[in-house]
Order: sequence, then structure tokens, then C-alpha cells
Amino acid sequence: MNELANRRPISFPVQGMTCASCVSHVEHALNELPSVTDVVVNQGTNKASLNYDPVQVNIATFQKAVMDAGYAISQQEINLKITGMTCASCVDHVESALKEIPGVTKASVNLGLEKARVQYIPEVVTVSQMKRAVRDVGYEAAEQDAAVDNLDRERKIREDEIHRQGRNLIIAGTIGILVMMGTFYDMLGPFQVIVPKFLSYKWVLGVLTTPIVLGPGRQFFVNSWRGLKHGVTDMNLLYATGIGASYGIAVINTLFPNAGFGGEGATFFESAALLTAFIVLGRWLEALTRGRTSESIRKLMKLQPKIATVIRNGQEISIPADEVEAGEWIHVRPGESIPVDGMVQDGYSAVDESMLTGESLPVEKKSGDQVIGGTINKTGSFKFIATKVGKDTALAQIIKLVEDAQASKAPIQKLADWVAGHFILGVHLLAVLVFLFWFFAGYNLFFDAGSRFILSPFALGDIGVFGFSLLLSVTVLVISCPCAVGLATPSAMMAGTGKAAEYGVLFKGAEAIENASKLQTIVFDKTGTLTKGEPSVTDIVTAPINIDPDKKQQMTILRFTAIAEQNSEHLLGESIVRSAQAYSLDLSTPEWFNSIPGHGIDAKIEGVSVLVGNRKLMNERSVDFQAWLPRAEQLEGEGKTVMFVGLDGYAAGLIAVADTLKETSVDAIRRLRQMKLETVMITGDNRRTAEAIAHQVGIDRVLAEVLPQDKAEEVKKLQAQGKRVAMVGDGVNDAPALAQAEVGIAIGSGTDVAKETGDVILIKSDLNDVIVALEIARATMNKVKQNLFWAFIYNTLGIPLAAGLLYPALRLVVSPEVASAFMAISSVSVTLNTLLLKGFKPTTLRKPGQSKPDNTSGSQLTLTTTAGD
Amino acid sequence: MESDTLDREIARKSAARYLTITGGVALLFYAVTGWIGTYPWVARIGGVVWISLLTLIVSMPVVISRLKKQAKGIK
Repeated sequence: MNELANRRPISFPVQGMTCASCVSHVEHALNELPSVTDVVVNQGTNKASLNYDPVQVNIATFQKAVMDAGYAISQQEINLKITGMTCASCVDHVESALKEIPGVTKASVNLGLEKARVQYIPEVVTVSQMKRAVRDVGYEAAEQDAAVDNLDRERKIREDEIHRQGRNLIIAGTIGILVMMGTFYDMLGPFQVIVPKFLSYKWVLGVLTTPIVLGPGRQFFVNSWRGLKHGVTDMNLLYATGIGASYGIAVINTLFPNAGFGGEGATFFESAALLTAFIVLGRWLEALTRGRTSESIRKLMKLQPKIATVIRNGQEISIPADEVEAGEWIHVRPGESIPVDGMVQDGYSAVDESMLTGESLPVEKKSGDQVIGGTINKTGSFKFIATKVGKDTALAQIIKLVEDAQASKAPIQKLADWVAGHFILGVHLLAVLVFLFWFFAGYNLFFDAGSRFILSPFALGDIGVFGFSLLLSVTVLVISCPCAVGLATPSAMMAGTGKAAEYGVLFKGAEAIENASKLQTIVFDKTGTLTKGEPSVTDIVTAPINIDPDKKQQMTILRFTAIAEQNSEHLLGESIVRSAQAYSLDLSTPEWFNSIPGHGIDAKIEGVSVLVGNRKLMNERSVDFQAWLPRAEQLEGEGKTVMFVGLDGYAAGLIAVADTLKETSVDAIRRLRQMKLETVMITGDNRRTAEAIAHQVGIDRVLAEVLPQDKAEEVKKLQAQGKRVAMVGDGVNDAPALAQAEVGIAIGSGTDVAKETGDVILIKSDLNDVIVALEIARATMNKVKQNLFWAFIYNTLGIPLAAGLLYPALRLVVSPEVASAFMAISSVSVTLNTLLLKGFKPTTLRKPGQSKPDNTSGSQLTLTTTAGD
Repeated sequence: MESDTLDREIARKSAARYLTITGGVALLFYAVTGWIGTYPWVARIGGVVWISLLTLIVSMPVVISRLKKQAKGIK
């Protein structure tokens, strides 16, 4: 139990992962450490997450394990300006304070320069924490590199990688084209006049190819050696062996044409050059995709305000937003961002919250209202008290949730990673078998000097048994590389979770997306989910004998009832008062008032005796409602509670009260049914009322008279029938049912997202967001499946071709450069396919005019002037 | 410190094993090429180098990971 209590989650960035097999290696290395569990490494985000016991392991242990596996934990360096130090012991204090923070790997303080140079892991520790630690030991710290924040650093790392691979691509691509033109010189025909003849000389091709192999291609040799030293193989090894073998044989055949490796006819310089160029193209595209898919996080991070105007000692001063303390007063002017969460104390304004809630209209804010950090003040000026700062703000919670979701791994991705991780060894084994077959049998049986390369006019010529077997073996290595697999799932997941966050839908993990895409049944809690959760007046029925047939009669009944109910604390009474206030009726004070518990109210208002209550009360007071009963029963059959109103001892009217449906409920259920999903309503109401509401909203099935504690059991029963169930509820009362369902959808949580139970959190109370969540989940999983298809299809088709399966019949072989082109196309397909998700728009938002419900029965007040007769 | 010593020991033992495997496969390949065919010596040497390289690549991670598991206990 104690061990569990001591466990801590941590996530940190890992550098150097280039493929799905790298993910397996890092996971494996971390999993081997004592007390470490739940290790998830994501190539898309380049992050590792795990749970650990800090007594047994620490960040240094993780660093060593990751380094031993051939990778590194990314670190940043920052210079802090330290003031208040006077002697060498101060230096020691500051250094110790910094070094004690988990995530700080090195701290060196210079007294003369008043500077601390700190190396740290950005995901584990923030600069604010460092500043606080320094402040806690009695000194002041400020960032020297103020412009460099988390966002900039993250962007810089990505941009550096894009630039590096872009530069490599330009070098390898440009020289590669020259090598190709030189190699194919004899086939250029009339174009020979624009290509110098010397380009076709073997030694010139060698001179041109060498900088490609040693420049852009160097990374593959370095990375694969680093991994191999620690006993791990990754895709770099496939590239390195492919490029190295092509280049090595080409050099030998150029320098020693009679060595027996196929001579000048078998110099594959163009293979080495173009192979490198295509692999680098794939790398560049991957770097580009990773940058693009994390755009959503960047957008959220950009919302984090930098500056706050706080009021200290009556003076307004500007300070960094992350230094605002809870309880401080903050002044916000028109057009400014709200720096932290808080409660308005003074002033009035409209605030644009669309960036966090998806709500398009500005929200009015007055004294007592909550404001959210990161939103933008539009018109007025106001002052508020900070209630949540730093990591506790809604924006910080949302960013954390989206980051965690993007770092998590869907079951389908775990499978893909496992396959890719074991693929590399399998491919090398296959390369051995291919080599042995063609060396010992295939060459003698099938080789034909006139055979050609696929998609090339080149003939193989008099290549020897070793050269031919090596060629096919190398081609198998190159064509098998599942480099796009590592990107297929995480890139789509990142794009999907980011897209969802834009619409105020937060997925807590990639598994939630995968599960949400497979749902069959959606269970809705009634109160607060399908309905507004607060009863309101739906019908006022008056006697026909009344002199005035217009609305006045209903208003009179409503007014008298509301006056009588003014002092009532009953929910139904409150709803009648609210309704009267909505009509701006004048509510005077009753002359006297008497509450009859369990029955109703008796009052004297403006000289009129008013009796409001149930049938029993009317019978006891001999007020004759016999003629009204059919109408009353009809209203009850619609799921409404009917109150009888008597004036001066006569039956005067009926007031029906019901918990009204949300405006979007009918439309949302209709859309879900269109998506072929079964809809179920779960409620504690009696069956007649529940069925009446289910009928109004269009729900397929009703689970009535279910006690709150039994909701989870009902979900379990549905699952036992083989259904994949989502539970939509308010996240507090329905927590057990939300946890039981495959996907728990917490609706209308507002911005306090961290407290919510549920796999999907809807910031707004709009049921249409359930559709948004399901549509995004389906679109994301479709992308994942398409990406995996594109990632594997080239390998699946290419391996038999590369191994020479069709050679005996067609006398055609795949050249290594065509194999690498296949591989690059695979990466291009995955990249482009993922980017298509960025343009996704939920159906509920495609045609706003048509998304309104066509039937909002129960949500509007019905004024009926017919009596029960 | 203890962990470093263990790592070095694993590295030493595993190197002995995968180099033995690689050497064995290379020798076997060389012997077979001499026994069943009339391969030019360049092809035989080239084949030995290529097969050795691939065998090393296949055996290294398998051997190292197995020895690590044995030494540290499988989780």
C-alpha cells in the first residue's frame, strides 16, 4: 500500500528516436528499471511517460537507462540572474537549492557574474519552480534568457530538425540528380548535349557520391553504431547496411574492376546516392509532420499570457503572469488577455472564451463571475481576484490533458510498435536467407545477363554470383524498412486530439479515441444531461369560463401562484417564481401564507384566497377539479408534475412543471441514431415519466427507476450483452457508471477538467459535442488505419519483388534506389494523409442553420386556454 | 558503481557469445562454399563478410538482451 502511495508519474522528452523500433528499445530499457511501471514511449511526441518509486530510482537512473539504449533525454540550459548573493556559501545555497529540484541535472552558480547556469529536463521542471526554489532560500532569481520559454524551445528543437534534414535533402537531392544523370548518360539521347560527358565516368560518380554518404548519410551510420553498441537494432541499421553495401561494392568495382565483384558494370553509386536522398526525404517529411501535428498544443500554449497587471499596495505593477499568487487583485483592460483564473470583483465586460470552450459569442462578466486565464477581454475593464494560478489554471489543465493524451498510446499503436520492433531483426534474417538462396542456388538456376532493373533501362550485365546475391539482399533490407509505421498512429492521434480540443472536447488518452470509434450503445443520464436539470413551467391551463380569454388569465394564475410560492424552498415552487420573473410579473407580498407540508400552500393575496397543491389538498378543501382531471392526467403522461390552483374556493387552473430538455438533445439523439448507434436513457424517474421524456427526445431504450448507485450495474449489464458502451453523464453523480463504461463522457464540466471522471471531457453542456467527440474519434481511427495501410503496403508488395520472387519468370530485379523511393512514398502517403485531418469539421458545425433541433417540445412554455372539459 | 560493473560483465560475456556465433556462421559459410561449388575466392570472401555482418547484426541484440534479462531478472 505504501509503495503505491509513494509512486509518482513522470514524463520526459527522449532524443534520437527515429522509428517504431526505437520506441520498443526505450520502453524496454525503462521497463527493466526497478519499480518502474506503465512505461509509454511515443515517437510522435518524442516523450516517455512512466510511474516510479522515487526511493528506488530517480531521473539520473532514467537518463542512464535511456543513454545505454542509445538515446538521450533532452535537456535545456538556462541562465538565471541571481541577486542577493554575498559570499561563497550563498553560491553553495543556491546551487544546492537548484540541484535538489527533481529534473535539474546540473547547476553552476557564478558569484561574480551573479549568474546560475542550470541544465534541466523541461518536461520535469519549470523555470518558475527554479525561481521559487532560489527565492525560498533567500535570494532573487530572474530569467536572463527571457525570450526563451517552453514554447520557443520546443519550436526551436523541431525547427532545427526540419532545417537539418532539409539541408541534408538539398545536398543529397542535388548531387543525387547529378549522379543519376551521369549514370544514365548513355540513355539521355538528345539531352546528352546539356550533360557533360565526364559525369558518366565511374570515378566522377564515386567522387560525387562520397559526400552524400559521408554527409547526409553519416547520421545513419552513427546512430546505428550507437544502438548496436548497446545491443539494439533500429531502422538506421537498415539504411546503414543498405547504403554502406551499395557504396562499398561500387568503390571496389571502380578501383579494382577485376576483383570479381561484377566489375564496372556493377558500380551502384546511384543506388547509394539516391537511397540516401530518398531516406533523407522521408526523415524531412517526418520532422515536418511532427511539427504540424503538434500545432494544437502550440496554439493552446500561445494562449498563456505573459504579463499580468497586479495591484500591490494600491499600485498597479506589471509582472510575469506565472508569478501571480492566488488571492492577488488583477486589473484587466479592454483587449488584454486574462492572465490567470479568478473571480470578478469590480467592473463589467464581455470576454471571448471561444479559444477554450468553443463558444463563439463573448460571455458577459460582472461581479461574482468566474474568468478563465488565457481568454480575451473584449470591451470593458474589470478587476478580479486570482483563484487559480500556475499549473492549476484551466488552461494549464487543458494543455496537460491534451499533452498527456498525445503522449499516450492506443492499443493499435502498441501492436504496430511491437511489429515494427521485431521487424528489423526479421528483415535482417530475411536478407541472410535471400543472400544464401541466390548465392547457392538461384544464380546458377535463373541468372540471365540480359535481365533488367524494374523502372530502369539498365541491364545487370555480367554481374557475378556475389554481386547479384548481395544486390537482392540489400534491396530486401531497404524495401522492408517500416519507417512510416512509427509515425502512422501517433501523428493521427496528435492531430485528432488537437482537433477535438479546438471544439472543447478533451480526450484523456489515445485509448479513449480508439474505444470511442468502436462504440455501439450510448447511455445518457437524464437529469442534467438530456435535460437542463432544473424544472420549469411548461403548461398553464385555465378555465374556459374566464371572462378574459387571452394570455392575461394565464398570467394571473401564474402571478398568484408565484406570490404564494415566493417563500417556498421547494424546487417546483422556485421554478414557478422563476417563470413569473421571466414574464416580469409584479410579485407582491402575500397578506398571509401557510405551507402545508407534502400537499401545497394556502395564502391570501390581494384579498383573494389562493390554494396551490396536489389533488388530495383540493379534495380536502372541497375544491372541485373533477372536470380538469383528464387534462391533468394527460400532462402527467407527458412526464410533467401538475399543480392545481384554486382561487376563492373555485378551480382556477393547472400549472405543469417539468425538467425541460436541452435545446440540442433532440437533434443530438437524431444524429446519433443516424450514426447507427443505439441510444439509452438511464434515470431514477418512474417508467411513465421516463418513457414520456424518452419519446420526446427520440431515445431507443429506457432504463427507468434506477437508483444512482445502480447505474454502473446497468452499464455492466449492457456490456454483458456484448455491447461497447459509452456513458454520458455529469461526471460527479455518474462517476461509477462513467468509469464502468468503455468510454465515460463527462458533459458540461466547465473548465475544471482535472477533477473530472471520464475518458472524454466536454467543456460545454452541449450534447452535440458528444457527436463531435465520436466523429473525431472515428475520423482519427480511420486515419490511423489508412496510415498503417500506407505504411505497410509498400513493404508487403515490395519484399517478394525485392527478394527476386518474380525474377525467374520476368528477369526483372528491383534496384535499391527504387526500393528507397517506395519507402519515401510510404512516408509521403502517411504524412499527407494525416494532414488531411486538419481540415476535418464535425457535421454539427458544417451547416449551422440546419443543426438546430426541429422539435424542442418540453422546453417551451405552452399556454393552453382550454379547460379540462 | 555496482551497476557499471554488471553492465561491463554483460557486455564482455555477450561479446564472447555473439562473436562466436558470427565466427561460426562465417566459417560454416566458407566451408560450404568450398565444399559444394566452384566459387571464385572473391565471392567466397565477399559472402563471408556479408553473412558475418548480417549475423552479427542479428545475434548482437538477441544475445545482449537475453543476458541482461538473465542478470537483472525478467520483470
